[in-house]
Amino acid sequence: MIEQQILDTINVGIIVLDADFIVRQWNRWMAQYSGIEPEAIRGQSLFDHYPHLDNVKFRRNCKAVLRFGNFCFFSQKLHGHLFSFRPSSTLRGEMEFMQQNCTVGPLYSDDREIRHLFISVEDVTEAVLYQNRLVEMNRRDALTGLFNRRYLNQRLVEEFERARRYRRPLSLIMTDIDHFKRINDTYGHQFGDQVIRAVAATLTAGLRKVDGAARYGGEEFCCYLPETDGDGAVGVAERLRQRVAQLGLVHESVAVPVTMSFGVAVAQAAMGDHESLLKAADDALYQAKHNGRNQVCRFSPNPQTVDG
Amino acid sequence: MSEPGYLFTEEEADILQEVMNIAFGKASAELAEVIDITVILSVPEIRLFRGEKLHCYLIDQMRFAERLSLVEQGFIGRFRGSALLGFPQGAEECILRLMGEEELGEDVAEGPSSLGCEALLEVGNILIGACIGKLSELLKDYVTYTPPRLLVEDYHALVDGGLLARADDVGITMKTMFSFEEAESVTGYLFLLTDESSLSWLKQALNDYLDSFG
Repeated sequence: MIEQQILDTINVGIIVLDADFIVRQWNRWMAQYSGIEPEAIRGQSLFDHYPHLDNVKFRRNCKAVLRFGNFCFFSQKLHGHLFSFRPSSTLRGEMEFMQQNCTVGPLYSDDREIRHLFISVEDVTEAVLYQNRLVEMNRRDALTGLFNRRYLNQRLVEEFERARRYRRPLSLIMTDIDHFKRINDTYGHQFGDQVIRAVAATLTAGLRKVDGAARYGGEEFCCYLPETDGDGAVGVAERLRQRVAQLGLVHESVAVPVTMSFGVAVAQAAMGDHESLLKAADDALYQAKHNGRNQVCRFSPNPQTVDG
Repeated sequence: MSEPGYLFTEEEADILQEVMNIAFGKASAELAEVIDITVILSVPEIRLFRGEKLHCYLIDQMRFAERLSLVEQGFIGRFRGSALLGFPQGAEECILRLMGEEELGEDVAEGPSSLGCEALLEVGNILIGACIGKLSELLKDYVTYTPPRLLVEDYHALVDGGLLARADDVGITMKTMFSFEEAESVTGYLFLLTDESSLSWLKQALNDYLDSFG
């Protein structure tokens, strides 16, 4: 009696199966989330109701539990979920399926033989949501929503390695708002922030899904473009330059022209690491500034203006 | 058996060795049935340590491969402690092949991919469970387990994190070398670590085991 109450009131799904995967117990939690009442499933094979579990891996793990009395764990981190349940009501908008940590373990009979096993299902959706949010926040710049510099560095290490290993091109665009200090001093910081946000949105809109844009410094941004050679990257930078120049930002009915300078570099076999690539793009950006701003420069040992 | 040999009588030490041999023999035979992989387990080597010596011993033992993947799992019965399974890094590819799963993707060079992690954890979990399960079966105990964790080249954290014995603890290690018949390159070590709290029960269980043969 007490055991049955515990089984039904505990905030964890509990299933008891025999060695042939026939359901012997199905607690109230399982009934609530699965929509299957205990009477409707007891005595039937679990696989009749959840055919996706009838696979080599699940059977192998259950066989080990029945034989060795070990536990096996289907963690949320590796599996997401074992049973496709809808998350509880408040979390439905954010996650399609309830995230679960599931455990399969042995149940000994009085003669010390293992004739049954249990599956416990723990709902960890809320923790996963918070974790995802924290991870996302840790990657993003608060003002613009672009990647922050730390995450950019992490990604560049990976992208650089990938490009080198598979001998694929990788381009970098460093860009900086022209005379930003003057804009800030003339129209105030709030308008300055508005410019930065508008520029960031323009960069994001002009890139592919596989590309990434980061806020590198105050008014400096960095975009990485995998699978893109120098000509391609210069084309992208030029398009971005034109779109920024056409933004048409207005401060108290005064049109404020905003332009940007761009430096483009391509990963080379001779470059030791992503730092060299950053340095090359930065050098090209410096050249673009030096040549009169509002233009794209491509890195070369003797940089040339691509477009004026 | 090293230093605090006085903890076990010579007879108890012999029974422990015998029980381990039987348990791991059974584990090996039944693993072949359950996971269709022939796991070769060497004769377990039992050692007793006091405090820091265990520390040094383990760190030294973990140097068998340049880069290691460690699966760590706690077991809790009257016989309790942690199990450590050390794979040479890159073993996950072989294991996936043995389990008949698809090839790994492109992320192999950056450390185990999630598929590789899963394979190590699954095989580690079953291997540890088989060995401890058979041991506790012989000694009439039953055991619960904590979820296995994968530690890549982070065994110092294990030691520093205090998981492996405090300085005044008595440590018992049972070391087994394992390899897979179908993939000879994958050779690793399994350590079962337990401490003084399990000792009196272990001694009793060993004596009961002997008595059961009259």
